[in-house]
Amino acid sequence: MGLIENLKSYSEGVQISTEKKELFTSFMSKGFPTTKDEEWKYTSLKKIVTKDYNIENTGEIIDSSTVEKYSLGFDNRIIFSDGKLIGSPNIKGVSVNGFSNFGSNTTDSILQLNKALAQNGFTISVDKNTVLESPIEILFFSTTENNFSQYRNLISVGDNTEVKFVERIQALNDSTSMVNNFTQINCAKNTKVEYNKIQNNTPESRLIDTVNVYQEQDSTCEINTLIFGGSFTRNNLNFEQNGSNCESNMNGISILDDNQLADNHTFVDHKSAHCRSNEMYKGVYLGHSKGVFNGKIMVRPDAQKIDAFQSNNNLLLSDNSTIDSKPQLEIYADDVKCSHGCTIGQLDENALFYMRSRGIGIEEAKAVLTYAFASEAIENISVEEVKLLAQKLLAHKLNVDLDFSL
Amino acid sequence: MLQIKDLKAGIEDNQILKGINLEVKAGEIHAIMGPNGSGKSTLSAVIAGNEDYEVEGGNITFNGKDLLELDPEERAHNGVFLSFQYPVEIPGISVSNFIKTSITEKRKAQGLEPILTKDLLKMMREKMELLSIKQGYLSRNMNEGFSGGEKKRNEIFQMAMLEPKLAILDETDSGLDIDALRIVANGVNKLRSEDNATVIITHYQRLLDYIVPDFVHVLYNGRIVKSGGAELAHELEEKGYDWVTKEEDKKWA
Ligand SMILES: Nc1ncnc2c1ncn2[C@@H]1O[C@H](COP(=O)(O)OP(=O)(O)OP(=O)(O)O)[C@@H](O)[C@H]1O
Ligand SMILES: [Mg+2]
Repeated sequence: MGLIENLKSYSEGVQISTEKKELFTSFMSKGFPTTKDEEWKYTSLKKIVTKDYNIENTGEIIDSSTVEKYSLGFDNRIIFSDGKLIGSPNIKGVSVNGFSNFGSNTTDSILQLNKALAQNGFTISVDKNTVLESPIEILFFSTTENNFSQYRNLISVGDNTEVKFVERIQALNDSTSMVNNFTQINCAKNTKVEYNKIQNNTPESRLIDTVNVYQEQDSTCEINTLIFGGSFTRNNLNFEQNGSNCESNMNGISILDDNQLADNHTFVDHKSAHCRSNEMYKGVYLGHSKGVFNGKIMVRPDAQKIDAFQSNNNLLLSDNSTIDSKPQLEIYADDVKCSHGCTIGQLDENALFYMRSRGIGIEEAKAVLTYAFASEAIENISVEEVKLLAQKLLAHKLNVDLDFSL
Repeated sequence: MLQIKDLKAGIEDNQILKGINLEVKAGEIHAIMGPNGSGKSTLSAVIAGNEDYEVEGGNITFNGKDLLELDPEERAHNGVFLSFQYPVEIPGISVSNFIKTSITEKRKAQGLEPILTKDLLKMMREKMELLSIKQGYLSRNMNEGFSGGEKKRNEIFQMAMLEPKLAILDETDSGLDIDALRIVANGVNKLRSEDNATVIITHYQRLLDYIVPDFVHVLYNGRIVKSGGAELAHELEEKGYDWVTKEEDKKWA
């Protein structure tokens, strides 16, 4: 059958609004993107969508020890099991709700599908003038085998507010489950938002994840994407700067092995003057893994005094791994500082000799240098628990023995 | 401890070392001086096992072992240490983890258990005190953003932690201010014993005021062209290299 057929028969059995029906029809007429689509040129969904999926969530109850296993132990947790909200924190100045049916105009077929079928997700509003010290942790668990889920989330952050998030999507079985996750973040004036994505799902899981960030003046938004697990990961991060003095930051690491694929697509739309964007993506590819990076920076005609920095540095550690990296700059203003760099590198020979001369064997030295290379992209994460987890996962995946108590 | 016989080495077609002979015994301190480009760093790199340089002739034995047969890490495990003229920056790895890794690897090669974190920290604190190194330094990334002097001090700190049998200090004094020079020299002197030896590569007499060498050698154009006692360094400081190199140039003209 395949996913399109699964979706079709599912849609025939559910009652949805006319608007959603239209979106669904629009999706069905286009289908999933193919490699003919410029945005999907290097990433094929073909193998993934020819499989059969369960569209309906029919999950099991999960126990607290399972939650603790994947949680970083924060006080404020939003927990979903098969889309059902099973835990929601009480935080002063924050309202946390389940799914809300918010709209968005999109021609992207995957987002149309999301809007048409999603019935799960969270809605968070943070009041003005609120500073949350402890992050809000969001855990999406799925227990249904071969499940295809749509999550749809909205975060609205009031003026002068500071808040951090940690998100994890976790399947609790080894089936080929897939998630289409969409999150919209509205950053009001003078806000500071940090969103951390821990993507360390089961070996057969697939993820298509989109975040749209809308920034007002004087706001800073940072998204950190940490990809260790999952067989297929596509991230779309879209920032729209709608006021002066905005800053959009993105850090990402992909540490891939076997047949894993990870594709990071980023887009910063500089619409206002005196704004900044910084992107640092690092990839380490082992086995038959494949990486894709596409970083688009658009500077609109009135957006003067823009500082846009982008880097994507990669290490291919096996003959069978590949990376396609593409910066895409569209600059229509003249007073703009824009730098981008993409490297596909080898380990630094001088550093290797330096380490060997200190008694560190060549294999260990290579692993440590690889760790050092990748860790630069996680150094700026302000949530210590996330940073430490990332360091540990990195060390574990690269087989280096580092002492994090030092 | 170290015997170098007629060592010839170079890079591609360029022979840099043209027949070096040197013997260093346990407990001794040797100083190697010589003009820029004479081959001092090349000699230390070849001893440490840098594969960029090809050994074309001669041999090096270290405590009876054929050193040229060993990988750089094996040389380190046997007690060879090189303090780099230009230490390498390694962003992303802290000083403490770097040192822990090198000590663990050395102990592994010797069939010993990994060092306990608390023992390691104790040892680090002792050596930091010896070298007047400030707290906070251990968690910095290896040499990243270090000043010239801090990098050199970090080299000596690693030497102190690894306790080598043979330490080669390649211009460790350059970049050090007068206080740091005294501290480093003091550290080297405290680490001296009957069982270890030190080779100091330097351009300046002032370090040798603090660490008095048993032998001084002049390296010129890939050869040791003159050797003497500590007084030779004073003579060079007074007269410059000319009086040695002119004679040598005549000989090969
Ligand atoms: N990797 C290399 N590639 C090419 N030439 C080299 C290399 N290393 C050394 N050389 C050359 O070999 C010669 C000796 O260099 P070396 O660095 O050993 O000199 P040195 O005595 O240490 O000088 P200094 O006092 O300036 O440190 C120089 O002419 C140098 O240019
Ligand atoms: Mg030199």
